[in-house]
Amino acid sequence: MLIVDLVRHLRYFVVVAEELHFGNAAIRLGMAQPPLSQRIKRLEEELGVRLFDRSARQVRLTEEGRLLLGEAREIVSRVERLHELARQGRGTVLRVGVPPDLGPTVLAALVAAFRESSPEVRLAPAEIWTADQVTALAEGAIDVGLVRHPVTAPGLRFGQVLVQTQGVLLAEGDPLTGVGEVHLADLAGRELLMPPKEGEPGWHAEVLAECRGHNFVPAQVHEGAGLGMVLAGAAVAFGPRVELPGLAWRPLLGSPIASRVSTAWRAVTAAGADFSAVAVRTLKESAGMSDEVAAPVRRVSRRPGMLA
Amino acid sequence: MSAPAFESLFRAAGVTGWLYATDIDTGHEVGRGADEPLPTASMYKVALLIALCRQAEAGVLDLAARVTVTAADRVTGPTGLSAMLDDVTISLRDLAYLMIAVSDNTSADKLLALVGFDAVNGMLAEFGLKDTRVVQGAGEMNASMGRDAGHAWPFVDPDDIARLSALDPARANCSTPREMARLFAMIWRDEAASPESCAWMRTVLNMQVWPHRLASGFPYDDVAVSGKTGTLPTLRCESGVVEYPDGARYAVSVFTRSFSTALIQPRADAVIGTAARMAVDHLRR
Repeated sequence: MLIVDLVRHLRYFVVVAEELHFGNAAIRLGMAQPPLSQRIKRLEEELGVRLFDRSARQVRLTEEGRLLLGEAREIVSRVERLHELARQGRGTVLRVGVPPDLGPTVLAALVAAFRESSPEVRLAPAEIWTADQVTALAEGAIDVGLVRHPVTAPGLRFGQVLVQTQGVLLAEGDPLTGVGEVHLADLAGRELLMPPKEGEPGWHAEVLAECRGHNFVPAQVHEGAGLGMVLAGAAVAFGPRVELPGLAWRPLLGSPIASRVSTAWRAVTAAGADFSAVAVRTLKESAGMSDEVAAPVRRVSRRPGMLA
Repeated sequence: MSAPAFESLFRAAGVTGWLYATDIDTGHEVGRGADEPLPTASMYKVALLIALCRQAEAGVLDLAARVTVTAADRVTGPTGLSAMLDDVTISLRDLAYLMIAVSDNTSADKLLALVGFDAVNGMLAEFGLKDTRVVQGAGEMNASMGRDAGHAWPFVDPDDIARLSALDPARANCSTPREMARLFAMIWRDEAASPESCAWMRTVLNMQVWPHRLASGFPYDDVAVSGKTGTLPTLRCESGVVEYPDGARYAVSVFTRSFSTALIQPRADAVIGTAARMAVDHLRR
């Protein structure tokens, strides 16, 4: 095994040892699970020891694995430090903006995947809302953005648009958690938590119009990125499926709320194009996003009482 | 996952309930007492509607032909021609519309006289619906209640209600939740008659005016509810189809008998919608 390859395999080993779960480790590494399992097996062959005990339902470190883990960590961090120093010496940095509500695992996967595909470029992510990214792109403060549509600005160019169908996040005790699927109209009487209106004006307008059309007119719209209001039972929020203690996620009947995101830039660079490609791949794998298809025409049923 | 708690839902609304729901396209199903023979009240009009279409397709009847409905044809009922005072000349398909949209008894009996019991029951047998039959029209159903109770409407005395043959599935029009849902599924799958006839029946069933039962469980602009109710003292039911925005379609049939003999029971009406919603939500999980 080549040195570079060995270090990469050791990094996989460290992450699996930290997660003790191949699926979670694969998400963190921004890769699929089968190749990760294969690489761990390959490393075990190379070292001539079994690192993990996979016979039980959960993954456990073997005694040998436990002994080697400390050394592996040391090697991986030293090599990372070496690359970091080399990168700073070369000075290629790609400054990207991402929405603050993108989610920690998605951002981590994005950074890991970009590091894998463009190890010579240092990625400098900053959490910025869409409207502020547009400004930052215009001022040259960031090179590439990851923005939420609808958004327009002269001179701005966009990568492939991806769609994320969102559900609703409710406090665990909310009576609506008893149903499998929630209609927007069922949310009547609840308050809504949204990203800041100034930061996401297009998303705000789109979501609130959709809510109004479906008989959900929130008495108050709170602004923020944290989910404390939802956890407290004071508001509901829209978002992708998540599992968080104290919260319940339910799909929305008819999928009326869908977030559309894409990368955005003003000047094309090789690193920027790489990031765009990595973003499309990673967002599909880690954030449940899919290619944009024409939004279904909203059908309104006819009931005789509507015009009686 | 386990079936929803229909029983406690029905009990809280003061009724005993039976229901069946199925995804028209996948066949997934959920039910409670789905094969219990029960009186259908006005829901028999759906079988009559299908038989009417099949006779028109066979050239026996012309849906556009006009008949004149006079005082002699008029039977008791709160809606449509039954509630009107003067003679009406009307096409067969418009009679069918009134029979379904507002459950008009006079329209139903006029059509039943033309189509005939044998045609309706022969068709039901051909469909393999062995627990569904039509043995009386609306006029006879009403008359039987007067005879059985020994007095005219209203029938609110529990002893009177116990004597009503119109509520006895062995003697009155009857079906089961499963078979009523199957009739609707056949209309939605273009199997009950020709695709053109089925499309027209779907339109008519979608024009039913009552919002308090099945439709009340789906109070959303983007969900379509079509159906036919049935009501007799202590009996409230509705069968129909619920169509979701993603294209999924569910045939649902809910029958209830209330513990109380009161005629106005909004909770007993609404539980038909709530139970149907619960069943559909279960099928979508």
